[in-house]
Amino acid sequence: MVEIASGESLNAACRAALKNLLSAIADTKLLLGYHYGEWTFGTPVLEASIANCSLSQTELGHVRLLHGILKSHFDEDPERLLESRPPREMAGVEFLDRELPDWAAVVAATLVVDGALTLALHSMRESAFLPVRNVVDKMLEEERYHAHHGRGWFRALAGRGEAPRSTLKERVEAALRSVEIWWGPEGEPEDALLVSEGIKSRSNSELASQLRRDLAELAAACGVELELEGTAQFDGWDPRTRRRGDSSVNEEILYHMRGSKNQIFKLT
Amino acid sequence: MIYEVFARKDHHQELKHVGSVDAADDELAKVYAWALYDEESWVEMCVVPRSAIIPVTEHGRVPVWGN
Repeated sequence: MVEIASGESLNAACRAALKNLLSAIADTKLLLGYHYGEWTFGTPVLEASIANCSLSQTELGHVRLLHGILKSHFDEDPERLLESRPPREMAGVEFLDRELPDWAAVVAATLVVDGALTLALHSMRESAFLPVRNVVDKMLEEERYHAHHGRGWFRALAGRGEAPRSTLKERVEAALRSVEIWWGPEGEPEDALLVSEGIKSRSNSELASQLRRDLAELAAACGVELELEGTAQFDGWDPRTRRRGDSSVNEEILYHMRGSKNQIFKLT
Repeated sequence: MIYEVFARKDHHQELKHVGSVDAADDELAKVYAWALYDEESWVEMCVVPRSAIIPVTEHGRVPVWGN
């Protein structure tokens, strides 16, 4: 197996593609960390609050790991990524652009969005790019609990009667539509390159199918009918932002997420 | 449903009771145990539904030999 120890050893196209992918995963994890943190309060039971607090910590830890790789191997500045990018440059899953309105939306984010990132990471377990391969297992070990939380709450809400069940269905389908856009179109050139160079083992289309299968199995076991077939349109899709059109993360969320408002207290 | 949480810090120690969690099912019980009792680097942690525990003594009473 080819082993690539540094970003400089990647060819230019592959380096650009991997930088985009890692940035997009880090951006989504940053937003997940924010939302889990926000939902440390207001959950249906106290245990879920504590779990969300832990989930938030692990997501932010993963952001730190990924930013370290982006700094060391892709000449990226974590400070810029966190503090000074315009919202339009961020590549998070669109479902996380706004405040999550209810607990069903948090469950959908955990099950679908977090689940999609875990599949993306899993596809790099045997990556030819060693700096990523070396940290993936640690992240996946922690993500196991995120998956338990998403699945456990899906089952719990599915069994709570018509109103929670229909809200859950709506939120999960919305999260999935958002994730379908984030995966990108079938055969997308950057993704195809990462697979052919051994950086990833499976294409995003294959990962998307896997996610749909996993959701279908869970939903069927809980008696929930989900609309899982993708209808995403990809005209004008940009691999840097992993979306089309001008949508971007809410400015107020960015303000709360960033430390720039506390610049005068920064210890340098 | 209440689950009791057991854990050990290294393979030479016995499992000890570290607390309990209230969860809707086994899968959520695992997450809550992991999130609540993370003060140590446990090498093993498990949860047991309280309802699965078979009492040997009556609660609050010292067992009397021969009963």
